[in-house]
Amino acid sequence: MKLWGNNIPPFYNKDYLDGFMPLVEPYIKEGAKSCVIICPGGGYSHKAMEHEGRHVAEYFNSIGVSAFVLDYRLKPYKHPIPVIDAKRAIRLARSLAGKYGYDKDKIGIMGFSAGAHLAGSAGTFKGDFGYDLQDDIDKESSRPDFMILCYPVVSCVQYSHRGSFENLSEDLSPKSARELSIEENVDKTTPPTFIFHTSGDICVPVENSLLMASALSRYEIPFEIHTFNIYGYHGVGLANGRKPAVHLEYVEMWADNLKNWLEGMGFIN
Amino acid sequence: MIKLWDDNKIPYYNKEYQDGFMPSITPYIVENAKTCILICPGGGYRTVCTDHEGVQIANYLNKLGISAFMLEYRIAPYKHPTEITDAKRAMRYVRYLAKEYGYDKHKIGAMGFSAGGHLAGCLGVFDSDFGYEPQDEIDKESSKPDFLILCYPALSLCQYAHRGTFVNLSEDLSNDAAVRLSVEKNVSETTPPTFLFHTIGDCDVPVENSILMAKALSRHKVKFELHTYTHGMHGVALCDRDFQEEKVKKYTSFWKKNLHNWLRSMNYLD
Repeated sequence: MKLWGNNIPPFYNKDYLDGFMPLVEPYIKEGAKSCVIICPGGGYSHKAMEHEGRHVAEYFNSIGVSAFVLDYRLKPYKHPIPVIDAKRAIRLARSLAGKYGYDKDKIGIMGFSAGAHLAGSAGTFKGDFGYDLQDDIDKESSRPDFMILCYPVVSCVQYSHRGSFENLSEDLSPKSARELSIEENVDKTTPPTFIFHTSGDICVPVENSLLMASALSRYEIPFEIHTFNIYGYHGVGLANGRKPAVHLEYVEMWADNLKNWLEGMGFIN
Repeated sequence: MIKLWDDNKIPYYNKEYQDGFMPSITPYIVENAKTCILICPGGGYRTVCTDHEGVQIANYLNKLGISAFMLEYRIAPYKHPTEITDAKRAMRYVRYLAKEYGYDKHKIGAMGFSAGGHLAGCLGVFDSDFGYEPQDEIDKESSKPDFLILCYPALSLCQYAHRGTFVNLSEDLSNDAAVRLSVEKNVSETTPPTFLFHTIGDCDVPVENSILMAKALSRHKVKFELHTYTHGMHGVALCDRDFQEEKVKKYTSFWKKNLHNWLRSMNYLD
């Protein structure tokens, strides 16, 4: 379904992405209490819609959680368009809680790699970036109730994945870099967070997750971090071998850690 | 129970301390086990929690098919380096006994809880420091563990220290001493692969101890896993005691699955 319904998306440019209009793909599970918006990764230049999107949505359904896969705007659109799309997705999901049966206050956002930077932005960046709130959907809160960050691009200040930030923003001055860094935006209102990373990730260093964990701890935000030891892998998705995801026998347990966390936090029955 | 030292040759011995206690290791051997773990119970260097962080851990490891030794090390009023001296001797003794008991002398880990985690961490990072005069065949063995399992470890004696642990451990409470004895500040490329487990609500030993250690390990390209859990205060151990809250028993107990997974991935468990 179109993210902005019948409205033209804010800052829309018909010359960008062949006139693409951002979408959410619903994966509704009857009886689910919570709902997760999934932001696939791809360095803000493309999106891994299968193994970091649809397959994950199907996994959530299998454990009793509803999901939406977010097909967000990216390069050549710049910040803040992706996070405007992500916040809209949260509002849209919240507005559909009555229709689809999940709780309004159990709406999470999840992302992989740059998609996790997007999810983290939606969870920590305040305000609406010049978008004037317009319709009933915009009346909903855009704050997610929880975040799930998978091998996330977090920091633009240290250990940063340059490619993602270059695609996201023209302004990478020190001031802007801090503003775009998730760990710099964590505060006492940040939602509970689950973090997964492979310890030997050479693309997005695990320090991104460790910095995030430190920030969450400083503000006493409930979090779990699980780093799995394997050298040289990034973009593993569920790591269960369902193409194009690779099968990593000792990493795929991370999804069980996620289920364990969701149950312990009361997001799954 | 095996005494670590010959009665007349215990370094730093003082019969007035701890009622004349002599440090020891107690074996818990499983036939055909390839891997062996030296367990360092916690207790803030003021006691040694030999039950929930000692014997129960040994029994649990045995059920996994891993042999174990529980270390009873000296504590306050003994000061550093007594504890590390006992731990190094224990690790050497366990390695020396490999041929007798059948486990692989290159698959010997150290598993520590709280202050015992500091001790196990020290075994991993202080190769050549805090040595003692070699006494016998046993001291020809290496004192370095092949891997570390650190459970809510009191690794840092700096900003996130458990103050009591530092005070009980060291005569010298200066900043220099804190840095010198903080495990995360002494990590190097040769630090053994490490599994870290911590609960975020730990008010005694802040979770930053494990996060800082993970950062240091990553910086030096040492293999590691870091697992933090939502429910439970300090000292959850196996999360299976009756009085523990339901959420700890149900959700924090998952850490054991992460541990099995890691041990299998490292070839320490079939």
